[in-house]
Amino acid sequence: MLRGDSLTITGSDLDLTITTTIVVSGESDGEVVLQGKLTADIIRSLEAGAVTVEAEAHQAHISAGRSKFDVVVIPSEEYPNFTDVDGEQITIDARSFEEGLKQVVRAASHDETRITLTGVLIASEDSGIRMVSTDSYRLAVRDLPSAAAVLGEGDQVLVPSRALNELSRIIRNEEQITLVIGESDIMFETGSVTLRTKLIEEQYPAYRNLIALERSNRLIIDRLSLLDAVKRVRLMVSDSSGTATAVRLNLDADHVELVAENPERGRASESVDATYSGAQLTVAFNPDYLIDGLDATPGEVIFLDTVDEERPALMGPMDDDEFRYVLMPVRVS
Amino acid sequence: MRLVIARCSVDYDGRLTAHLPEALRLIMVKADGCIAIHADGGAYKPLNWMNAPNTVNESPDQWVITNPKGETLTINITEVVSDTAHELGRDPGLTKDGVEAHLQELLAADPTAISEGLVLVRREFPTDIGPVDLLCRDSMGRAVAIEVKRRGEIDGVEQLARYLERLERDPTLRGIRGVFVAQVIKPQARVLAEARGMTWVEVDYDVLRGAKLPDLTLF
Repeated sequence: MLRGDSLTITGSDLDLTITTTIVVSGESDGEVVLQGKLTADIIRSLEAGAVTVEAEAHQAHISAGRSKFDVVVIPSEEYPNFTDVDGEQITIDARSFEEGLKQVVRAASHDETRITLTGVLIASEDSGIRMVSTDSYRLAVRDLPSAAAVLGEGDQVLVPSRALNELSRIIRNEEQITLVIGESDIMFETGSVTLRTKLIEEQYPAYRNLIALERSNRLIIDRLSLLDAVKRVRLMVSDSSGTATAVRLNLDADHVELVAENPERGRASESVDATYSGAQLTVAFNPDYLIDGLDATPGEVIFLDTVDEERPALMGPMDDDEFRYVLMPVRVS
Repeated sequence: MRLVIARCSVDYDGRLTAHLPEALRLIMVKADGCIAIHADGGAYKPLNWMNAPNTVNESPDQWVITNPKGETLTINITEVVSDTAHELGRDPGLTKDGVEAHLQELLAADPTAISEGLVLVRREFPTDIGPVDLLCRDSMGRAVAIEVKRRGEIDGVEQLARYLERLERDPTLRGIRGVFVAQVIKPQARVLAEARGMTWVEVDYDVLRGAKLPDLTLF
């Protein structure tokens, strides 16, 4: 939609709607509905420089340099009319919100049959907000204590992780983000972009006891050393589709030994210096989920607390408690 | 089973007339009297056939097969290449896909693998359009019809919907609900099942048969 020199572009699949406004050199006001992917592909393919878009009743003409595309347009009356989300506007620091998103969204499920787990829980927690996601094999929790008064006490919303993935790409380099929480939708406004998505109206699973579980074994280790070692031994247990099975951690007093075995490929092992207190234990994890946790956890030194080889482990930075990652072991023969 | 490989032409005279010009063909004479004439191609369908019961008048150069309706199949033979007979014995019949049948058996033994509280009433519960795989009762005593497939597709959902429609007519099963169960259920089948008011459940065959332990999960 062109108004003066302001062009507003909206894309939507009805669940997720993104709108951005840019400054252009406008000649006459109007609106047109273009085929989204086709138009994006055309614009992306054009040579650098100015692009001209002229719209008529049944066609739009996109040209740049010597290239010209005449594309069929969709009647604008068929385009849905999106009303604003009605709710309180709350503005928070975009950088910490983006950082939190990147830490937790990866743990959300992609399994559409468990729709609750495809969302990220955003809930009030003490005086700030907490973001939680899980796919039932791991759970990531990030607290943003500085985001005071975003939600009322006990309030929580479940936001599709797909929308938050898009949002984390959009809010790059922005200072602030505004959340508008409605009855069944949430809207994020940052810079010149607005993202609106439907909320998931399901009950989120009770997760707190997974964090609070008493664990008597503690491994303290350099995060990047462990991350690099897991990435190396993982090579032995990944299949052609890129899916990996299990990496065993043999926990001992002054080190952890990583072992990955595949009868058709062979065996990899690596020892990483660490401090360990607790019972001697061998516990196995899906290496991809372990890598995700190590990648998301901030800080140089982390802890990995375990109970035994079948109950959930807990990972977090040694120097703060704003991020926690619960990881379920896998059974190995 | 008698197998005759012969150069022959064939004429059918009945609801219509059909002629097969002379060529080398396989004539199958089955123990029950059915006769089928095959060319050397195609997976299953004969070029011509005559079901039992029928009468065969066989001479060296011509077979005339007649059924009770008066339809005739005339085979004119110019050369017999091979004429053999084998005793095949009684056929056990077509069995369901092995995994599917075993899945049904395993779920009948433990319906709680589908949903907590389910108790089996009967396997292959009959309806007038065929048997539903499992009939169970849930913890509330409500009847539950379960259709088990190896791969869950739309036709399986439709099948269960037809069974439910028939079962709902039985006053003792009124309010029956349907559960569609498979190792993998296609998204379209899930949507259709939900639209028809059914639930669907994916089960792990290896876990059910004890070949592996279930994945450890947080929830």
